[in-house]
Amino acid sequence: MHELSIARDITGIIARVLGGPRRLDRVNVTIGPLSGISPESLRFCFAEVARAEGLGEPELCISEPSASLVCLDCRREYSTGNFYDGCPDCGSMMRKIVTGTEFTVDSVELDDGGDGRDDR
Amino acid sequence: MIVERSGSVQITTSVMGRNDRFAALNRECIRAAGIFALNLISSPGAGKTTLLEAMARRYGGRMAVIEGDVRTRRDAERVEKAGSRAFQIETGGACHLDAEMVGKAMETLDLPGSGVRLLVIENVGNLICPSGYDLGEDMKVGILSIPEGDDKVLKYPSLFSRISVLLISKTDLFPHLDFDVKRAVMECRSLNPDVRVFTVSAKTGDGMEGFFGFIDEAAESASTRRGSMP
Repeated sequence: MHELSIARDITGIIARVLGGPRRLDRVNVTIGPLSGISPESLRFCFAEVARAEGLGEPELCISEPSASLVCLDCRREYSTGNFYDGCPDCGSMMRKIVTGTEFTVDSVELDDGGDGRDDR
Repeated sequence: MIVERSGSVQITTSVMGRNDRFAALNRECIRAAGIFALNLISSPGAGKTTLLEAMARRYGGRMAVIEGDVRTRRDAERVEKAGSRAFQIETGGACHLDAEMVGKAMETLDLPGSGVRLLVIENVGNLICPSGYDLGEDMKVGILSIPEGDDKVLKYPSLFSRISVLLISKTDLFPHLDFDVKRAVMECRSLNPDVRVFTVSAKTGDGMEGFFGFIDEAAESASTRRGSMP
């Protein structure tokens, strides 16, 4: 049930930035391939959590960039989509991870049909 | 904040940011107290608590343990009986410890000036979720036990790529099970070339002196970090 609590972390961040729940059209997140987060599991949970938290039924758009690495043996820069690839030139697994572990809420698109709260 | 009725709002926030802030505070406290801190991660039943009992018999009051389980105080009670202070976190459902929980436990343990040189956080038994949560530790230690099989490392890359130490545990069971140590070590090094490996049996003591020597050196090094509390 881990991606469920992660989905709640995402909706919590959104609600804090917006000053409360708002109906949304879209939520844009980035999940790096070395972050340990499963995009499929997150999708499974997110719709229900967003609805329950008053964010409506936003589309969850997940950007999945490749990881950027620098080989510490031959200095080659390379990219990969998984944990297992070594340097394409020398095969070494000694590497510096430049990007690839990120997991961010990037932006949201507001539902211009109005917010999710009663007008006071 | 005034938000328009429609349009795009930039958020650009790390989902783990909140946890990472708590982890940074924990790390500051640990370093200022000159303590060496480990985050012990494995599947349930791999031998974390039995290892801690052996460590408690050796280190006594110089070690403190933060225990993480969904329910029960069983593990904290075992560690206390073996000779070290322990604080039990019952997560009530969460499959991993997070830095905020660990920070509160550290406050209760009141470590500075206590004589504790080694803090071990025994994470909830789980090979997946704990790997993504920085608790403020110096090192993550992963345990893989003989009965689990030598083919598990590549199945759980998020953990085995992040650990500093791999403990292959329950070596007393070698005669009864097929476990290719070279394969498990090679696969771990393929994800994590710098990983230190120890094969141990907490039950018989096999290999434990090597692991204790490593801990002693690391704790000695950490004690030179001691400074004033923030």
